[in-house]
Amino acid sequence: MDNNEEYFVISGKINGKRIESRILEEKLQKAVESGHRRIKVNAFGQHGIGGRLWRAGGEPVEIVVEGHSGQRVGSMGFPNTVIELTGPASDDVGWLNSGAEIVIHGHASNGVANAMAQGKIYVSGNIGSRGMTMTKRNPRFDPPELWVLGSVGDYFGEFMAGGVAVICGVAPQDRDDILGYRPFVGMVGGSVFFRGPYKGFSRADSKIVDITDSDWNWLTSNLEIFTRKIGKPELLETLSDRSEWRLIKALTPLERGGKTNRAMSDFRKAVWEKDLGTGGLIGDLVDFDRGLIPVITTGDLRRYKPVWENRKYDPPCAATCPTGIPVHRRWRLIREGKVDEAVALALEYTPFPASVCGYLCPNLCMQSCTRESAMLPAVDVTLLGKESIKAGIPEIPKPLGGRVAVIGGGPAGVSTAWQLRIMGHEAVIYDMAETLGGKLASAIPEDRIPPEVLSAELERVKAVIPNVGLEKRLSREDVEKLKSEFDYVVLATGAQKPRVLDFPGKERMITSLDFLRRAKKGNIKPGERMVIIGAGNVGCDVAAAGKRLGAESLLLIDVQEPASFGKERKHAEDAGAEFRWPCFTREITEQGVVLSTGELIPADMVVIAIGDAPDLDFLPDSVATDAGYVLVDENFRTSDEKVFAVGDMVRPGLLTDSIGSGRGAAQTVHKLLAGGAECNGERDMIDRNRVKTEYFDPRLAAFDDIQDAASQCASCGDCRDCGICIEICPRSAISRTPLSGEPYEYVVHEDRCIGCGFCVGACPCGVWNLIENFGLM
Amino acid sequence: MFSDPAVAPFSLSLKDLPWWIDWDNSKCTLCGKCTAVCPVHAIELGVFRRRKVQTPLNFSAQPSQETSLYYGIRQKTDPASACIGCAMCSMVCPNDAIIPRRSDEADKLRYHVDQGGSPRNRGGRRNVSESLLDRIKFIRISMLTDPALDAGRHEFELKTLLGRVLPPEENFRRMKEREWIPPIREIYPLIIGSMSFGALSPNMWEGLQLGVAYLNEELKMPVRICTGEGGCPPRLLRSRFLKYVILQIASGYFGWDEIIHAIPHMKEDPCAVEIKYGQGAKPGDGGLLMWYKVNKLISAIRGVPMGVSLPSPPTHQTKYSIEESVAKMIQSMSMAWGFRVPVYPKISGTSTAAAVLNNLSRNPYASGLSIDGEDGGTGAAYNVSMNHMGHPIASNLRDCYLNLVKIGRQNEIPLFAGGGIGKNGNLAANAAALIMLGASGVQIGKYIMQAAAGCVGSESDRCNICNIGRCPKGITSQDPRLYRRLDVDLVARRVVDVYLSFDTELKKIVAPLGRSTTLPIGMSDALGINDPAVAERLDIKYVV
Repeated sequence: MDNNEEYFVISGKINGKRIESRILEEKLQKAVESGHRRIKVNAFGQHGIGGRLWRAGGEPVEIVVEGHSGQRVGSMGFPNTVIELTGPASDDVGWLNSGAEIVIHGHASNGVANAMAQGKIYVSGNIGSRGMTMTKRNPRFDPPELWVLGSVGDYFGEFMAGGVAVICGVAPQDRDDILGYRPFVGMVGGSVFFRGPYKGFSRADSKIVDITDSDWNWLTSNLEIFTRKIGKPELLETLSDRSEWRLIKALTPLERGGKTNRAMSDFRKAVWEKDLGTGGLIGDLVDFDRGLIPVITTGDLRRYKPVWENRKYDPPCAATCPTGIPVHRRWRLIREGKVDEAVALALEYTPFPASVCGYLCPNLCMQSCTRESAMLPAVDVTLLGKESIKAGIPEIPKPLGGRVAVIGGGPAGVSTAWQLRIMGHEAVIYDMAETLGGKLASAIPEDRIPPEVLSAELERVKAVIPNVGLEKRLSREDVEKLKSEFDYVVLATGAQKPRVLDFPGKERMITSLDFLRRAKKGNIKPGERMVIIGAGNVGCDVAAAGKRLGAESLLLIDVQEPASFGKERKHAEDAGAEFRWPCFTREITEQGVVLSTGELIPADMVVIAIGDAPDLDFLPDSVATDAGYVLVDENFRTSDEKVFAVGDMVRPGLLTDSIGSGRGAAQTVHKLLAGGAECNGERDMIDRNRVKTEYFDPRLAAFDDIQDAASQCASCGDCRDCGICIEICPRSAISRTPLSGEPYEYVVHEDRCIGCGFCVGACPCGVWNLIENFGLM
Repeated sequence: MFSDPAVAPFSLSLKDLPWWIDWDNSKCTLCGKCTAVCPVHAIELGVFRRRKVQTPLNFSAQPSQETSLYYGIRQKTDPASACIGCAMCSMVCPNDAIIPRRSDEADKLRYHVDQGGSPRNRGGRRNVSESLLDRIKFIRISMLTDPALDAGRHEFELKTLLGRVLPPEENFRRMKEREWIPPIREIYPLIIGSMSFGALSPNMWEGLQLGVAYLNEELKMPVRICTGEGGCPPRLLRSRFLKYVILQIASGYFGWDEIIHAIPHMKEDPCAVEIKYGQGAKPGDGGLLMWYKVNKLISAIRGVPMGVSLPSPPTHQTKYSIEESVAKMIQSMSMAWGFRVPVYPKISGTSTAAAVLNNLSRNPYASGLSIDGEDGGTGAAYNVSMNHMGHPIASNLRDCYLNLVKIGRQNEIPLFAGGGIGKNGNLAANAAALIMLGASGVQIGKYIMQAAAGCVGSESDRCNICNIGRCPKGITSQDPRLYRRLDVDLVARRVVDVYLSFDTELKKIVAPLGRSTTLPIGMSDALGINDPAVAERLDIKYVV
């Protein structure tokens, strides 16, 4: 301090009493305004001394503070101001300093240079905590500087955003740590020179850098100024050892880039698996890879895989045909151009493919056709059936030696004998009628089947089964004899005993069986008015035959809603038959039928058509019966192990049921005689939902011919070799492989397949299936 | 005559389903990835007809029509294959051609998920997205009234105590006289709650454990994880990492013989033993690990034969009252490690929780009480249990804490709370709210599954098939084809991320309260809510 100059003195006390900071500030400002440029303040703890002295108009102002300077000396200081404290300083020296130079000849407490933007602070001692915090550098000005001779307190340089701090480490407060606890947290700018031991700093925000020559030049020249300002030029030499100095700078945003924690994979290998062992937590318990796999996988890693289930299931047509004809295979043969094979195939299953499939059967195959579920017309099997008239005589294999007697030459008996013959056994049919065919030949009206069709098929039957004994009514003893002469006896006498009701005048009526037989021969006259008791399908046949023979009014009465359906019903309706129910017959008079209500229905002829029952009188005692029918097991074997029974003797049914039962019995007998495998293993029916009917034209109403019909068959469960699966597969994982015995198969390449199931979704036939892939489980 | 009826009572249309597959024919490349990845086979390749009718203007020619075919993605409608909304199809689609969308009204599927008379069973969480905890605000911003702290810059010691804390004079007396002092652990207040090895896949379980080990050893955060009831891999039992693990014992006692065999070889004591009595998601119901999850690995760890279903009964057999059960179980488990390991029960949130707590407060060996509120998640439970049973955690915990305050023992027996913490993503806020209501720490399950492993489940019934072994992310499956989708290291890394960010958020909450060295347990003057009834019930401030 230069005492030669004259100072304007402002005292912090008036009359021994401290003046308020506001008053001191007023005095100071007024002094500057009135031209004083060198002012000495005898401070007494007043706040903010020496700041804001712009009223000097830029002329230099020197303020000397003696006594107890208060907080925030030189706050908002202006560049024209130099403030010199003769003693220590309180908190926040140079707070928001905007250019003043502040020299402190002692220690300074907390918050030195907080938020300082310009100017310089020289401290000739140590400073307290949070020095040089939130300092900035405005590009318009030189950076702010803080010079500390000793050490700094805790949290130095927090949020420091600019400026230079120099910490000389001379006589520090803590000999081992001149930077204090946690310095430079949040530092983003500026630089800090320091000299002396330290315990750490925020490396997340700052780093030590090399001191360049220009740094060193700046530091040494300014140290000279600093030591002079604080009146200790002798220290310059001590402070001039470059090797003792360090420089800290803020990390750049790019250098921060987040924390660099140890990589997890490194931790796992070096720490985790070091203690636990290779493979980590369960490396000792598993012997397979647990490493990362993609979401879409191939081979064993697929959750599902496709399988080509060709012919694993029966299509609905074959599964519901009581005869078991594989209708779909016949259509496939036709599509392949093998019409003859298609036609001939039926003869493996039935002797009457034309008569039954083509004319008389209600065609359960069509009723169950998958196409029906999509409102598409069922493939018309009657076309194929009618075509079957062209089928020739099947090849008869060499005799195997078995001999079977078949009693009854109706559909069931003929079917049995037919099957036995084509399996290589001798079969002899006995029947009491004049011709073969049973009711098929004798009782079904001609308008339902052309006579030449039936006779052609019967001729074919005779060619296959040479041994037929007609007009033979067998007694119980005859049957016992046959049992001893033949390996097996098959009963197939059908239902020949018409059911009648016991009411007055029953002798006036005629049974339906009688009527139909005589009608077929043309030796009955029904009269004008015909009443038929019983409005089932047989009643309908009677009505249709009656119309043909000249009846004018036809009335079918029943005790309940008539059970008739299908072609028979339609024929009767076409003949103009009327149906009435419920009607309970009280008696039959000359005039007609009297109902329980007393009403008389006039009739010239009354036919009763309430069904036929089997005639069981000739059965040996060893054959058990139940409720009028022969009791059989699932293989049509009776309680007598040498005797089988089929057809209407066992339960009333359709022609196809009779034919099917004959085939079933024959297969069992064949198995017993030849020990061979069953001809056709039972298979489950395919789930119709697997079949894609969308491939077919929904507007198609009828089929032009069998080729047209064949093209419309969905080939349920039976590959049609269309190759759609090959094309739809997004991974080209399916290929077609020719085989030696079988014509071909479709193969999945596991290493390409991802198990998407597209083949399943696209397959028109429902052959492909998607199943769980247990490769790894 | 057709055997399949056209419409059955349970025939559903797309409209009836909760999720609709939105598929864009113009973008689809028919690559097959969506159908390959779908965990429930809700979609398949479909064959479709397209029909065009051409009628020329002015009847200048005969009208004509043409039907053609195309292939595309079809959504199935049978209840067993209903879309679960997991959106794995969207994830794998190369062209963004497919996404499940929420239907526009209440679905009808819910009436048909009981086919065969079995009520719906599912995994996941309660289908209620609201959260009372989300509504609690931290209203006390101290600023200058307490030392103002900066969450980003100041140092915090956010740890809590697990164990019985004796009154200071008693503690000093015992120290002086070298008497037994209850074991206490200083741990991080966010605990990974019990999820068994079995409920979780091996990769998920190891990922969590690895992350916890990393947090402890690399970042010095004393995070703890509970095993759940499914045993503990023998290697872990014999490693130093066991000290980060809370072993759970529950009514099935699975894996406990392996743990007992390992005791002589343990390098470290476990952090604690949790005795499970109940689970928030399915109070009063037990667990069941289905047979198809019990493979060779699970069988080894649980000490059971392969391929059998493993039921955990709803209650511990041979124990007929909570008093007896607590006394017996705590004694036994403490004895196993020479009374060096804290032992505490976990119960589902219940109106009878205070009775349990009263009992524990008189038991000198009880180290705490964990309460799992109604919003907890589960691997498998009946829908009705999950959606309708249990007690909300906030008032349950609060009642317990205030009970302790009443008897002057709030600093002696810590309460831990779980169930729905962070259910809407507000993990730190929910945890802080519970801590200020009186919890010494919180337990999470679902949150860590979502954050660390990308669980796609939601409170609006998305996915939630944790129970059937087909978790599309491989979190809850024992099928290597699924769990190998999960990278152990990445799960661990996400665990670390979650804890670091939770730590920052928790600081952001407690710093303005002026807390940095102690957790503000029970500091309920800092809590407010804009509902007077809730405010009164929880004894916090009503603020609007």
